[in-house]
Amino acid sequence: MSDSKKIGDKELAAISVSVIIFGGLTFHWVAEMISTVELLELAYGTVKLFNNPLVF
Amino acid sequence: MINELLLQFGQWMEAQQYSQMLVAGYYSYSWLEATHVLTLMVSIGSLFIIDFRMLGWILPNVGASTIADRLHKPMMIGFAVMFITGFLLVYAKPVETIQSLWFRIKMILLVLAFINAWVFNAKMKAADGSWDNDSVAPRGLRTGAILSLVLWCGVVTMGRYIPYDWVDCDKTQNPTILWASGCVDQLKVL
Amino acid sequence: MFSTILSQYKATLSVFVVLLVIVVLEFLQVRAAIYPSLLPAFEWLKNSTPLGYIGTTYGSIYATVQAMHLLTMGTLGGLVLATDLRLLGVMFRTTPSEVISNGTHKAFKLTLIAAVLTGIFCAAGVADKVYYMPVFWVKMLALAAGAAFVFLIKQPLLSSKPHSEINPWIIRGMAITSILVWFTVAASGRWIGFS
Repeated sequence: MSDSKKIGDKELAAISVSVIIFGGLTFHWVAEMISTVELLELAYGTVKLFNNPLVF
Repeated sequence: MINELLLQFGQWMEAQQYSQMLVAGYYSYSWLEATHVLTLMVSIGSLFIIDFRMLGWILPNVGASTIADRLHKPMMIGFAVMFITGFLLVYAKPVETIQSLWFRIKMILLVLAFINAWVFNAKMKAADGSWDNDSVAPRGLRTGAILSLVLWCGVVTMGRYIPYDWVDCDKTQNPTILWASGCVDQLKVL
Repeated sequence: MFSTILSQYKATLSVFVVLLVIVVLEFLQVRAAIYPSLLPAFEWLKNSTPLGYIGTTYGSIYATVQAMHLLTMGTLGGLVLATDLRLLGVMFRTTPSEVISNGTHKAFKLTLIAAVLTGIFCAAGVADKVYYMPVFWVKMLALAAGAAFVFLIKQPLLSSKPHSEINPWIIRGMAITSILVWFTVAASGRWIGFS
């Protein structure tokens, strides 16, 4: 890697914070998706996005 | 007569199976609404950047036509998604929406905003980039930008008012509001 | 040698100190201890301040300020997308990324202030309700993280040197993180509306 693109202090801080925030948010959204799927399965017995629960 | 036709159309849509499914589904309506609102960031966001550039508020050293060209595609994609989700939202609750005063005003403002955009585009093409690197656009285009900002702020505000029931058909007895909202049955009673 | 590392890597060490403090506070359950003491503040905001009074009494004003909050979110989203998509090399490729990121930063600051002010008004009107909503706290956390990230990490790095001298993967990483953070703020905000 050329000297001009070396990983300095600010770059290291940027990588660390980006990884932490990105990791945390990805975990949050994956957990949201899982709980959404679980709720839909509870409501319909299977995953259905637009089903009418009043129609049997 | 238009109000009667619109109400009949709304009642026909409401009777459709998919319309009922959209409303009754556990998350479907919420997801539609969330997509509609969140896509604002793409559509309105891009549009506002173009308008701000015309007014010289942002990126004054980037050519105005560059900004308009580059943001045109994301803006149009955003608006396409807004229209599809907007139509589906109306389709899910057609009578309620068609008889909403705020929805009707929103549609009028939307039409005006698109006319303004069309005129704005024509003026930009006619100007042929002679002012492109100026920090502020010529007066006519600035007027168009301000009008665009005002109209789109109006569209979003009216959209925000739709869920509120302040002047719903069964909440008001003002004949003007009832007529403007298309509350056909309530007008007959009056 | 240790003092050299301390002086050369101030920002990185600060990040890890902050992270350590957060982990320790979580381990000691400080957040759970503080949470009940925030309820009086939220109730005060709703019941005893002009903001709360206006928000609960005048629905039309509340709805209008909500619309303004939406508009600021829309503008913020546009600014974030324009800047970060340029950093990712997707948009404005003929314009130097320094010009785009520096040129949008002032507008970003002003729009964020407007979003926070309108957001405080919106929260004041329903303060006793949002206090109990996990999604509200997610939004606040994402907002704090996003603001700290942009003002303390991303913008200082991007304005310190030409972007050609920064590792492109770092720039892309920051852009993707920024997009995800602000999307989370917006989406959580929408979900508050549904709760």
